[in-house]
Amino acid sequence: MTTLEVRNLAKRFNGSPNAAVNDISFELSDNEILALVGPSGCGKTTTLRLIAGLERPDAGSIRLNRILVASEAVFVPPEQRGVGMIFQDHALFPHLTVFDNVAFGLSGKTTAEVRTRVGEMLHMVGLLSHSKRYPHELSGGERQRVALARALTPRPVLVLMDEPFSSLDADLRAGVREHVRGILKSMQATVVFVTHDQEEALYMGDRLAVLKKGELEQIGTPEEIFHESNTRFVAEFMGHSDFLKGKVTRDGIQTAIGLVRQIVDLPLSTAVEIAIRADDIDFHVDGSGNALIIDRFFRGAFNLYRLRLDTGQVIHAINPHTNILPVGTRVQAFVSAEHSLTVFTQ
Amino acid sequence: MEITRTNITYQKIRSKISPRLALAAGLVALFVAVPLIYIFVRAITAEPEAWTRLFQERIWKLFANTLGLVLAVTAGAMLTGVTMAFLTERTDLPGAKIFRWMLAMPLAIPAYIGGIVHLALLRPRGGVIPKLLEDIFGQPVFTPSPLGFGGAAFILTLFMFPYVYLLSGAAFRTLHASLEEASRVFGRTPLQTLFQVTLPALRPGLTAGALLVALDILAEYGTVALLRYETFSSAIFVQLSGRYDRSAASVLSGILVVLAIGILWSELRLQGRARFTQMESNWRPAPLMMLGKWRIPAFLLVLGVVSASLLLPVGVLLVWSIQASLDPDTMRTLFSTGSQGFGNYIWNSLWSSSMAAFIAVVLSLPVGLLSVRYPNQVTKFISRLCQVGYAIPGVVIALSLVLLVNRFLPFLYATPFVVVIAFVLRHMPQAVRASESALNQLSPSLEEASRVMGRTSFQTLFQVTLPLILPGLLAGGSLVFLTSLKELPATLLLRPAGFDTLAVRVWVWAGEGFYFQAAPAALLLVLVSALPLSFLLRREQIFK
Repeated sequence: MTTLEVRNLAKRFNGSPNAAVNDISFELSDNEILALVGPSGCGKTTTLRLIAGLERPDAGSIRLNRILVASEAVFVPPEQRGVGMIFQDHALFPHLTVFDNVAFGLSGKTTAEVRTRVGEMLHMVGLLSHSKRYPHELSGGERQRVALARALTPRPVLVLMDEPFSSLDADLRAGVREHVRGILKSMQATVVFVTHDQEEALYMGDRLAVLKKGELEQIGTPEEIFHESNTRFVAEFMGHSDFLKGKVTRDGIQTAIGLVRQIVDLPLSTAVEIAIRADDIDFHVDGSGNALIIDRFFRGAFNLYRLRLDTGQVIHAINPHTNILPVGTRVQAFVSAEHSLTVFTQ
Repeated sequence: MEITRTNITYQKIRSKISPRLALAAGLVALFVAVPLIYIFVRAITAEPEAWTRLFQERIWKLFANTLGLVLAVTAGAMLTGVTMAFLTERTDLPGAKIFRWMLAMPLAIPAYIGGIVHLALLRPRGGVIPKLLEDIFGQPVFTPSPLGFGGAAFILTLFMFPYVYLLSGAAFRTLHASLEEASRVFGRTPLQTLFQVTLPALRPGLTAGALLVALDILAEYGTVALLRYETFSSAIFVQLSGRYDRSAASVLSGILVVLAIGILWSELRLQGRARFTQMESNWRPAPLMMLGKWRIPAFLLVLGVVSASLLLPVGVLLVWSIQASLDPDTMRTLFSTGSQGFGNYIWNSLWSSSMAAFIAVVLSLPVGLLSVRYPNQVTKFISRLCQVGYAIPGVVIALSLVLLVNRFLPFLYATPFVVVIAFVLRHMPQAVRASESALNQLSPSLEEASRVMGRTSFQTLFQVTLPLILPGLLAGGSLVFLTSLKELPATLLLRPAGFDTLAVRVWVWAGEGFYFQAAPAALLLVLVSALPLSFLLRREQIFK
């Protein structure tokens, strides 16, 4: 069943020449996590706030459980939408205890029911022993979990998360992320998750929606987004791709580092660019090779090399060899990818 | 919390600003603006000969007198305030911690009470000190007279500098040490650094403070009347109470308010931009300057300022109060003058000031909510309009209310409520600023979280917003209470017969020369003011 349906959503803020959100449409099924990802200013947070009812759309419609909640003609205030939300700064009420914060979203319940439900949720996030504390007495990770419990306690139709991990330290983030995804999945929650971090989007989302300047560039599974980018922007933003120049020939695409055997449906000798990542390129030392090592970055498990091709183009390659090659070594680079690559016309 | 077709209500798309809130804020602005506009109307429609008469003889002298005093006191307060702040915050001055409190406490002493004490001590004929010197030396010795321009400037500086002291103290505190370190690394001496880096960095905050002092001096009545120095405020008071010439009073008021609004406008423009400095997460205090051989002179200087502005006035009031309590006649008059007694004065002071504080805070809420949550040109204008009280001296508010109430609300005439309305109008800006700054510190996401979790905007206001901004509102209320307690001219002009407050009684008794009788009331007024003041000071940066 469709939980959320967004149709041609548009929003422009006063005094801004560009639309914050421009004609965005997507749907979200039950128990699905959708990650909205894009660089800052791409409209992902505005989309989230429109769904929550914290902003009014200029055009388009939003349906929750098939009920129209926002359009040009109607607007349901946030308190009647039945969504849960986790804010970037967590927005825990500083004047309420952990227990009262989590209980805030429950109304029309008896005291006993509230106690049971809040207890359950605090137990699930592992903070039952902290229920009498105030938010300022908690660590960043604990606050994060209270915010999660608070959003999930009223069993919302939809959970909205606005960069929920951005206030956490990097070392804490990976663990919390895993924990939160586990909880969301075990509760069968339907979630819209906003982030500017590609890796986080790939980890959290069942599907990803990539936004750019208020427009939806591509929506799909993490694999589709990563390997079959629709646009150059998506390829660049999601995978740190290099764009290798080439020309279409009968057998494939001729590039500066050899022929890529991939048949494309384009006229012969069309100038194209292949989106290619560092793990798609390999090289070996060769005094008469086609590239020069100009930089090396140690990345722990492997070395990332920067190569300047004889054509002048700079590309990146991962080399798992344990022996370190010095800058200035001449090498022969070639495409080692065994999957098909994304090709854009120039 | 399932969303179903039965439990939702569609709202008509409306402008984002809640109409109820806009209406409430608009009414508050109207309430504040009417007395101001009315004064202008009266000034412009006054008979032409009132204008010509005033222009021929008085106005230029009043102008010179008023501006001279404003400039002298503002400069004096800046110099004293910044010097004191530098000494207590940035040097190894002995006793800096205690001095910090003692330098702020004169705010609890109304300037006219300080004036009464200094006048009694230094009066050219019959003052305590001239008499003492004459007894010692056997002949009259010259002592500076506290009357006139010099005396007024001196007394007002003594009781105004704490405003500048608090502002500059906070600025010295929050200034980033690396700023001065950078200056030193680039080859400036500590003294050059002070004048080329530190003080310029504090300038915006200090300018705002100076303008507020200037507004206070424009409005000051008690001290200048006591020391017989004529300014616009005292001239208006005389026209109103003595000669009862409302036309002349209106004309003078119109001019005074124009002057004050000019100053307020500059101050409002500085607001918000008032700080170059800020507390950053990597902030660390600047190292203290070692005074060396200047330690003792610096200590004596600070001690001198504290003595003249705090220790001496309080000490003298204490001695007089003790003397009064030893004299049965004085005690009798103190506790029953006609049907009124000491208890009535206290009660009148307390209830009128508390009520003014409560009303001002309640009225400031819609204005603050509107201007903070929906910032635009219109809401900013409303917020600024609600701050014009700063620029309307007590005598002008009194005049305006006398005229307005007589004409439109005669049933209110000669009731204590007119006094309360005057307090609210005059001190509303402090409440508005407190509410706005409290709301500014509140993250909007807290209110949004409440809305998302099913609370209406009204429920959110009472369950989330108000509990969280309560400390800020209390601070605003305390400020209004404190300044209403000290208020003199509006109370004198508007009070119904028999409505005596502590401030009024001190003024009347001291004016008749009954210092011993006035002392207990004055001392109590200072003590009652000290309570909300210490609550307020604890919130200040420099006492943290």
